[in-house]
Amino acid sequence: MRPSPLDRKLARDLWRMRWQVLAIALLIACGVSVAVMSFSAMRALTQAQEAFYRDTRFADVFAQAKRAPISRVRDLAKIEGVTAVDATILQSGLMDVPGLSRPAIARVISLPDDPDRCLNCIRMVRGRMPDPGRTDEAVALDAFLNAAHVRLGDRLSATIGGRSVSFTIVGAAMSPEYVYVPAPESFMPDDAHQAVLWAPRPAVERAGGMSGAFNSVALALAPGASAASVMRDVDRLLAPYGGRLAYARKDQPSHAFLTAELKELSTSAAILPPIFLIVAAALVHLVVTRLVDAEREQIGLLKAFGYRDREAASNYLRLAAAIGAVGALGGGLVGAGLGAAIVDLYREYFRFPDLRVEFSWAAFAGATVVSVAAALAGSLAAVRRAVALSPAVAMQPPRPQAFHRGWLDLVLRGSSVDQSTRMIFRNLERFPARGLLTGVGLASSLALLVGTQFLFDSLDLVIERSYFRIQRWSDAVSFVEPRAVDAVAGVGREPGVFAAEPIRVVAARLKSGARQETTRIIGLDPASTLHRPLDGLDRPVPLVGRGLVLSEALAARLGLKPGEGVWTEVIDGRAPRALLPVTGLARDYAGFAAYMDRRELNRLMGEGDVVSGAELLVAPDERTAFYRGIEATPQIIGASSRDDTVASWRQVMAESFLVTLTFYLGFAGAIAFGVAYNMCRISLLERGRDLATLRVLGFGRAACAYILAGELAILALAAIPVGVLGGYGLAHGLVAAYSRDDVRMPAVIEPGSYGVAIGAYLIAVALAGVLVVRRIWGFDLVAVLKTRE
Amino acid sequence: MSEAERRRNPEPAFVVRGLCKTYATEAGAVQALRGVDLEIERGETLVLLGPSGSGKSTLLNILGGLDTASSGSARFHDFELNGATPARLTQYRRRSVGFIFQFFNLVPSLTARENVALITEIAENPMSPEEALAMVGLSDRMDHFPAQLSGGQQQRVAVARAIAKRPELLLCDEPTGSLDSESGVQVLEAIAEVAKDVNATTVIVSHNTGIAAMADRVIRFRDGRITDITTNPHKIAPREMSW
Repeated sequence: MRPSPLDRKLARDLWRMRWQVLAIALLIACGVSVAVMSFSAMRALTQAQEAFYRDTRFADVFAQAKRAPISRVRDLAKIEGVTAVDATILQSGLMDVPGLSRPAIARVISLPDDPDRCLNCIRMVRGRMPDPGRTDEAVALDAFLNAAHVRLGDRLSATIGGRSVSFTIVGAAMSPEYVYVPAPESFMPDDAHQAVLWAPRPAVERAGGMSGAFNSVALALAPGASAASVMRDVDRLLAPYGGRLAYARKDQPSHAFLTAELKELSTSAAILPPIFLIVAAALVHLVVTRLVDAEREQIGLLKAFGYRDREAASNYLRLAAAIGAVGALGGGLVGAGLGAAIVDLYREYFRFPDLRVEFSWAAFAGATVVSVAAALAGSLAAVRRAVALSPAVAMQPPRPQAFHRGWLDLVLRGSSVDQSTRMIFRNLERFPARGLLTGVGLASSLALLVGTQFLFDSLDLVIERSYFRIQRWSDAVSFVEPRAVDAVAGVGREPGVFAAEPIRVVAARLKSGARQETTRIIGLDPASTLHRPLDGLDRPVPLVGRGLVLSEALAARLGLKPGEGVWTEVIDGRAPRALLPVTGLARDYAGFAAYMDRRELNRLMGEGDVVSGAELLVAPDERTAFYRGIEATPQIIGASSRDDTVASWRQVMAESFLVTLTFYLGFAGAIAFGVAYNMCRISLLERGRDLATLRVLGFGRAACAYILAGELAILALAAIPVGVLGGYGLAHGLVAAYSRDDVRMPAVIEPGSYGVAIGAYLIAVALAGVLVVRRIWGFDLVAVLKTRE
Repeated sequence: MSEAERRRNPEPAFVVRGLCKTYATEAGAVQALRGVDLEIERGETLVLLGPSGSGKSTLLNILGGLDTASSGSARFHDFELNGATPARLTQYRRRSVGFIFQFFNLVPSLTARENVALITEIAENPMSPEEALAMVGLSDRMDHFPAQLSGGQQQRVAVARAIAKRPELLLCDEPTGSLDSESGVQVLEAIAEVAKDVNATTVIVSHNTGIAAMADRVIRFRDGRITDITTNPHKIAPREMSW
């Protein structure tokens, strides 16, 4: 079938306007690519997660105890709604890994006697399972082996429960409990120092003196069973055995992190694409309106020839739809690439046996429909105008565009403003809607730039405050059990330690009215210098009497203010309860902490002067000797290093945030460029004849460029304060949207970031301006003499 | 122009020698001018007549510094247009040439006064916009925008804009082509009067043979060549013309 003349006109219009079409399609492509990338990545993660959880029978409820007899497993299995119980032994300690400066935290978990009835089963990746008859073989987490450069056949030694044990690593495995392995003091991954091992039960029993007992239990629930009620029963059954609070799958650290990542993806998919599509629709509106105005004679001619209104106007609808379709197609392709790239990035953090790139056809189809609809919506007003044109009116040339004196003339009255500048202002005044749309589009791009810069600033602030002002220690160690305060002095005598302060941490449930939160109470000495709660102005918050200092986020959750009382149920030890006054609020950024005077906490616990760990300043050049010393100390089960933690934050920032920011920079640049380019092109179309006339009359190119670019420059500058304010609002919105229980990002934007954002914005606008303005150099001055408007 | 006047201005304002212009088109080369020789005196009024494609507009464009010749010479006093840089040509247009277009080419966002001021702001020794508009009889329309003026009034604003810089050369391309007879006469009247006041050399390109009556000399074109130059012994004022 031969294309109709109207089809050919459409094709030629698209080709003639290709740069404008592409600039708008670029915006649509940005929106579609974010949607496709996010949904594709979500689909990949969700599918990998579901398959892995199903294959490995990931549990629904988890609980720990100190030492429960294996006979209690039967009671746990009888709880209503429980379909399977898997009781294991989990022993922690420090492990010396050759090649690592700092000891790794070792978790040795007993393998199930019957592999067919396990929950949280491991999936072998390489090697073999340990020989059940041997107590010196273990399988290790694949991520740890890779990060710590441990090979199968290597022998690793750990100090567990005061005893030194050694294992030969015979296999590498993945586990649904350790898909993502955050370091204990941060939520950043630290695979090399998280040594998770699985060994036959007798080996772990022997290491921890746990014969006939378990200290960790996982439960699977029947569909529809109440996790809350099961957890209550589990707590009740395990309480006599030092049972800690049972928690549901949603609070399992690895799962919680994965859930947070999925939430971030869906937030990105919800926030960004609409911004792009709205701006694109506005640009379609401007471009098609201008086109209809320019082609009124042609439209009239078509109608005079007998084309129906619908037919004469349909080309503009089809043009808009084509812009939407081109953008969606480009966005689909880019989105597929980005989706694959982000899934590659996820493979670094999320250890699934089968994380495959999944292109989300549904997201692509949905985004395409929405993109085309947005473009069509943008063109509607102009199309309506084309439909309304009568053939007779359309055949007459338009009179010069009607201008009037407006408020700007009142402002400019008496001033010596030149005529070129007057032209710029009159045009702005004559087309307020266009100026507004352009200004809003430009402001939104700047807002996106400013509002996303905060990621870096915010993390810098979090690191600075968390690791250099609130906590000022370089290393921290934790003990297996609370120990007498003298133990701190013992650690203080290790090589390189020049300051050591005690810390006592207990788990507790805080209640206020109907609200309750489970948290850690951190007991510090009031004179402590290495760790002190700070308020929002960086002033230390004193620990007074039996009072609790709550983190602001925790107080907000509980609806508490200083001076009020909070019911405190300690979960550790003899589980005392007390109504404690809130004496102050501290600002922190991760977790929910409550601070208390350590001696008062010990008094509440009914214990002597004990500590659960020590916070230290260690001379950097003696750290190796220090670590060797604590590895040999049987009572120490955990060691954290601020430098390592900060380094892992920085690494994640460099890898993932930089990628994110680059995307945002590109996206925002695309908006600024697309808006500025189209605005300037339309201006050139409308005023090309005026400008060429001025050239004939003796105006230089620069003078014409001033008139053409002046309007854009004014709008771009006017959009800066709006964009900066919008960016500030966006940062707060993003903080709210991305905020999670484990991390609270403050919405801070440093002056330098404003500079970077405004600089990038101005470059994008200037580039668009230059691309259009350079057309002045190619004006055909002869043609203008013969051209009717 | 009388013999006495010619004697007062012994040097011609423009000397054109062997001017050729060839355009490359898809159908091959088109010779728009094939060796034009012409001298134009200061203060003279020339009317260029000829059918479409005869070369008259091409000559006007080259004289105005809008286009460059393929060969030959077009010298305005000491300034050789052929081979001049675009910047020099812009300077030339700014300093010495006033243009009047068939379609007025006013800036719609500026009032009549501001359209004229657009030029007086960049000219070296301009008259005031008010003075220029008074010369074309539009003192009472100075603050009107183009959309508020009739076609004839718009063209008179264009005339005021062209002469406000006191140009030596006034180039008019079909100045009455978009106007009815009455408005056309008014515009020509304005052109003739103000050109005389500023002693401008006026070159008018037209299809309209009736306009020839106001010229000192009438130059006819055909196929890129001058076929005939007629001196008009009895030139008449535009108000006495009709077509």
